[in-house]
Amino acid sequence: MTAVTTDANPQDARKAGRIVYLAAVVLLCAWVLVPLYFLLINTLSSPEAVNSFPKSFFPAFDLGSLTFFANFGGMLSALKNSIIVAALTMVLSILIGAPAGYALSRFDFRGKELFRLLILLTRAFPLPLLALPLAVLFIRTGLDDTALGLALVHTTLAIPFAVLITFSLFSGIPIELEEAAWTLGCTRLTAFTKVVLPLILPGITASAIFAFVISWNEVFAAAVLTIENRTLTAFLLQTLGEAPLHLKFAGGFILVVPALIFIFAVRKYLFAMWGIANR
Amino acid sequence: MTLISKLSGAVSGLAILCAATAAQAEVLFWSTQARPVEEAQAMRDTVLSGFDGGVDYQPNEDGPWLTRIKAELEAGQGSIEVMGALHGNFSAMNPDDLQDLGDLGLSSVSDTFNSLAMLGTDQMQYIPWMQASYIMAANKEALQYLPEGADINALTYDQLIAWTANVEEATGEKKFGFPAGPKGLKHRFFQGYLYPSYTDGVVRTFASPEAVTAWEKFSELWSHTNPASTNFSFMQEQLLSGDAWIVFDHTSRLAQAFNERPDDFVAFPAPAGPTGRGFMPVLAGLAIPRTAPDMDAAKALVGYMMQPETQIATLRATNFFPVVDVELPDDLPPSVRAAGDAVAKMSAAPDANPGLLPAGLGDRGGDFDRVFVDTFERIILAGQPIDAVLEDQKKTLARIMEETGAPCWAPDAASEGPCPVE
Repeated sequence: MTAVTTDANPQDARKAGRIVYLAAVVLLCAWVLVPLYFLLINTLSSPEAVNSFPKSFFPAFDLGSLTFFANFGGMLSALKNSIIVAALTMVLSILIGAPAGYALSRFDFRGKELFRLLILLTRAFPLPLLALPLAVLFIRTGLDDTALGLALVHTTLAIPFAVLITFSLFSGIPIELEEAAWTLGCTRLTAFTKVVLPLILPGITASAIFAFVISWNEVFAAAVLTIENRTLTAFLLQTLGEAPLHLKFAGGFILVVPALIFIFAVRKYLFAMWGIANR
Repeated sequence: MTLISKLSGAVSGLAILCAATAAQAEVLFWSTQARPVEEAQAMRDTVLSGFDGGVDYQPNEDGPWLTRIKAELEAGQGSIEVMGALHGNFSAMNPDDLQDLGDLGLSSVSDTFNSLAMLGTDQMQYIPWMQASYIMAANKEALQYLPEGADINALTYDQLIAWTANVEEATGEKKFGFPAGPKGLKHRFFQGYLYPSYTDGVVRTFASPEAVTAWEKFSELWSHTNPASTNFSFMQEQLLSGDAWIVFDHTSRLAQAFNERPDDFVAFPAPAGPTGRGFMPVLAGLAIPRTAPDMDAAKALVGYMMQPETQIATLRATNFFPVVDVELPDDLPPSVRAAGDAVAKMSAAPDANPGLLPAGLGDRGGDFDRVFVDTFERIILAGQPIDAVLEDQKKTLARIMEETGAPCWAPDAASEGPCPVE
């Protein structure tokens, strides 16, 4: 009975496994890269080529669409505003989120579970619903049309991620490490900065990326709460929905590239996180 | 430690950048029109650049547009000076929130537009700014399949159906394109074209026997329609890509096709039905919110927008036609010539039967449109029986009319009190 099933050559099995593994890697890469590649090709194609079918696999290096945006008034200041708001969101959400994550993992207090649930609630209300009262409040307090005001809104959206990511990372670091540091002369604070912080840096990076991407992609609040200091997304995305196809591609490309550059710049911190997880 | 000092450095750097935002004294023009990037650019570069003091032109989608202006009204102060939007956007607002503009002495040449702009009050609440309409367009390759004896400038719905059937037979593909996508303006086709052409009404005749015929004809047309139409919102894209040869859409949503390949396409009037050639003019207007910080500058900008030269520049930029008396120059872009020609033929046709924009519905305009979209989806997409669907939707429509008390508008016969659904 069993003789039949032991036929398989272990080497064949390993080879087949490798092929499946490679195929999965290729598929996942293609999943991400092919759309980006088509975005690039269409950005660099003439309007006629964008509308024609079948598509060429090689860009024609027609810079017409990109030149249009280069001359489109206000792009650079919108890009600057986007970066300022995203960076502020990043800093604020980590400054608020990481201590909350630390407290959740290290201390026991009443209502801890409820707090963990409540923190998710900031994402439970759709922004179009919140935008009106927020805008009224911001106009009255003078926060209206400032990068800080918008960053505060985006921080609220990013905090659940910051708290939950740092919470699970702090929980993964044994309290004994901190206790050992205390016995060796560290205070609570220095034990945290010298021992724990380097270990969770990748997690902080991950939540920073989340905060950045959330802020970068958010349109509605940005469109309502900023007027002269528009973010790039509010500035471009609203006008792209009805733009001709070749400008849609070019605009999409312009929106994607800064986010990609940012993620590339911080990737080494992010990959270190999987190092921790594997240990 | 280095991390913390880096972070604090970054924060202080950002704080300095934030503080460096310069104050501007430009007039803020908050618009739902001329939104596509090229149009927005043209508005800034050619239309508004001639205004003294400068204009900050900000096109927005309807949601953020309305939310922002509501917030400013509620807060009692704001930065928006001039609002540009469709009639429907303004009719959804409270007329008290809009500055009375009767004292500006500005108006359009059309009395219908001027009375629409009063929003049910006795003062101009907005100034008619520019107009457009919906037309048909076709790839010239489709012309050889026109049914015998049909004149493209005086088509009937039956001829249109026969034409699309001929094209399908010859090419094996369904080549009629209809903007039934999420952002498509399909409801305007039913309100301003199909219903007036078949029932000589929109509200009164919603569930009449003639309306049943209209929907039967439309399902016949739908059987020759590219099934991907439920994803089409801007028919210029499908004209250019060849996915559709014969299409219906807003003039400005067809412009790109004519401008890119003027020799390949023709524009022509909408077809006629038993009760005439229904068509719908589109009206955009300019208003000033009561919270405008500099009322004089705002009024000056509205006045500037209504000058004949500005109106022609606006036509070039947006494909929306002037509402004041102007002499049109000869060197207009191909899209403007094609669309202007089709609109002129359509409104001058002996059987023309204009259907006006819904009026007096206040903020229920969206619900009114939804009735027609739902009816379309249930009859055409879900294949439900026409009689039952019309009877059902009729109740919703009647409720909207009663709750808003909106009187009938053309082509429905005038009513005393709310327009009845018969």
